[in-house]
Amino acid sequence: MSTLLGKPPYGERDDEAFLAAMVEVTRHHLRGCAFYERIWGAKGTGGPSGGWRFATRAEDLPFLHVGLFKRLSLKTDAPGLEHGRTLESSSTTGRSSQVLLDAQSSAWQAESTRAIFGDAFGVSPASPAGPLLVIDDPRALRRRGVTARAAAALSLGPLATDLFFVGDETGSRVVWSKVDEALAVPHSEVVVYAPTWALWTAWATAEIAPTTRALLAGRRVRFVHSGGWKKLEAVGVARVRLDAALLGTAGPGSCVVDFYGLVEHVGVVYPLCAEGYRHVPVWADVLVRDPLTLGSLATEPGMLELMHPFALGAPYHAVLTEDMGRLVPGPCRCGRRGKRFELLGRMARAELRGCANV
Amino acid sequence: MSSSVALGFELDDVVEAWAALRSVMIRHRPAAFERDEWAYLISFLEAERLRAPFRETFGAHEAGTGHAGRVARPRGLIAVWLPNNVSLLGPLILVLLSLTGNPLRLKAGSAAKDLAGELLRFALEHLPKGPLRDHLEAKVRVEVFEHEDARHREMAATARVRIVFGTDETARAIASIGATSGRQFSFVDRQSEAWVQAASASEEVLDSLAKVCAIYGQAGCTSPRRVLAIDGTADDARSLRDRLLERWPHVFPGPPAPHVASAGILARQWASALGWDARATLHHHAVLSVGDYSLEHVPGEHVLSFSAVPLERALAGLPPNIQTVGHAASGAVLQEWARQLADTRALRVVPIGEMHHFSHVWDGQQYWRGCFDEESGPT
Repeated sequence: MSTLLGKPPYGERDDEAFLAAMVEVTRHHLRGCAFYERIWGAKGTGGPSGGWRFATRAEDLPFLHVGLFKRLSLKTDAPGLEHGRTLESSSTTGRSSQVLLDAQSSAWQAESTRAIFGDAFGVSPASPAGPLLVIDDPRALRRRGVTARAAAALSLGPLATDLFFVGDETGSRVVWSKVDEALAVPHSEVVVYAPTWALWTAWATAEIAPTTRALLAGRRVRFVHSGGWKKLEAVGVARVRLDAALLGTAGPGSCVVDFYGLVEHVGVVYPLCAEGYRHVPVWADVLVRDPLTLGSLATEPGMLELMHPFALGAPYHAVLTEDMGRLVPGPCRCGRRGKRFELLGRMARAELRGCANV
Repeated sequence: MSSSVALGFELDDVVEAWAALRSVMIRHRPAAFERDEWAYLISFLEAERLRAPFRETFGAHEAGTGHAGRVARPRGLIAVWLPNNVSLLGPLILVLLSLTGNPLRLKAGSAAKDLAGELLRFALEHLPKGPLRDHLEAKVRVEVFEHEDARHREMAATARVRIVFGTDETARAIASIGATSGRQFSFVDRQSEAWVQAASASEEVLDSLAKVCAIYGQAGCTSPRRVLAIDGTADDARSLRDRLLERWPHVFPGPPAPHVASAGILARQWASALGWDARATLHHHAVLSVGDYSLEHVPGEHVLSFSAVPLERALAGLPPNIQTVGHAASGAVLQEWARQLADTRALRVVPIGEMHHFSHVWDGQQYWRGCFDEESGPT
């Protein structure tokens, strides 16, 4: 699996190697996770057929529905596998998704996320993007379970020189004195991360003191956000307005990066490219399935299925989401190669999910 | 002794107006209603069915005659808090309560489809001028608002009758802010199940099972959470499941909405993980599982589990909040079930096809009658 990670994220795909890695991780979960085995094992009744063992295409491989992570404590045991903390989604329905992390997978996932964000920002651990400001309560890191927001922030950590949690105890307001403290770090660049809604309410529409404004105006700021647009749409805020408001607080060369990712599929994120698409790295795959037949769709809209093999502690390597999307054929003008897709939003009347998701 | 009912309108006019609306309903279905929901509502508006509450509560209809032993008068404003999970309940209770002549305020679930509001709009658009239209226009309001809204308090304080569908907590909260002179009828969380004698499981029974499962999913307190082959074998349970799998596409030939299919994919995987032998109907419209009675229950829209169990164990295993036991049995077997169920907390024992029949008496409470003040009349 690590060989997949050694390549540039949007370079030449090796579909055979990817499929082999996915089959290997699927077998690992069949051996070590009783729930998974009951669904997809030889006697399993959870899927359309047991034919996946002879899979020649990613679409033939087993998957788990995203909602299962709210209902079951999925865990895979194997010799030498060390489970760590649990990643938890925010909850709008009283039930959060839980994903059990492990050391090896976390290391792979960190490498994956670093490479993807590095490509999006044009930075690397060798030339980091300055301090990272996270709009969250610093206590988020000390909790037993890791919140989606904290996990997203930490995945950006290796690309930053320092990490500052600049939220108050609710995690929804900025403590500007902490921002001033972070901006005291001598660096011309800075990264600010928050969920989409929080970035609007806590930063874009906040009253910022003239001294802080002056400090920000001298910095190249990369605003990074993820999560749903529903709340913003409800108050009539479109992407253009959010971006303009954010960039209005920052210096020349600043940018806004919106990425898509799921707690239930931690490890691969999908930043929006300048052309409005999301690109699939060579160590992952994205399918679009017909909700009724589960057949794989070439260009029509359907349910997104996300796949990557960096999930050993629990079977979250192939997750059928309730997010709708469509694959877009042909090369992208942004210059990235490989598969790309358009995210169309949550399936109508699907189960409500936390704001850390789309 | 029969009663005279002093309504503000001629009952027959109102009943006939509702019944006549069906001819328009057959041609036009508002998008908010699923096909099954609309069909159920059309059948609910049959005139004789609407007269039944009067007949069964007050005897033969003698509105305004003044010759009865008792007089019943509309009590005043009725406030209804509808649940989030059973959207069709709103239209049904709106119709039933419109027959009482009382002003009516319904608060629809803030996280549900407002089907009561949809029906009200539809009726006002299509009803000809007359007593029903006048009543709905002047005296019936459907509102949707959030938990913290001050209108909860206002509704509770001004209503002469409060009808609450929801949790124990909701019912208590509304009682605490309600006028002391008001009556409250609370319908809180309950569960139901279907009992089947294998020999009685005709095609008609299976079709009824499919329909009661599909209309509210498992959300309704009258929806069967499981199907028990009483005194049957594991093969009986499996055969029931397999036959229903086969029948399902005949009962529901159209494809489900994508979110229903998605819920089906989830339920199938969840049930399998818990040890059920789970199968999906075409396009994952429903998930039908068979397995041991002791397996953990899988909630979900259009999910039914089938187990074989001896009668004694089924009786002992009834949930404490059991509401309805739907049955498919006959003769001595049915008599024995009824006799045994009479000693349990089950509130209704009805044929499977009637499990959802919402009526003027619910959970054993005469809420509809409670919307009237009754007193001795002229002799």
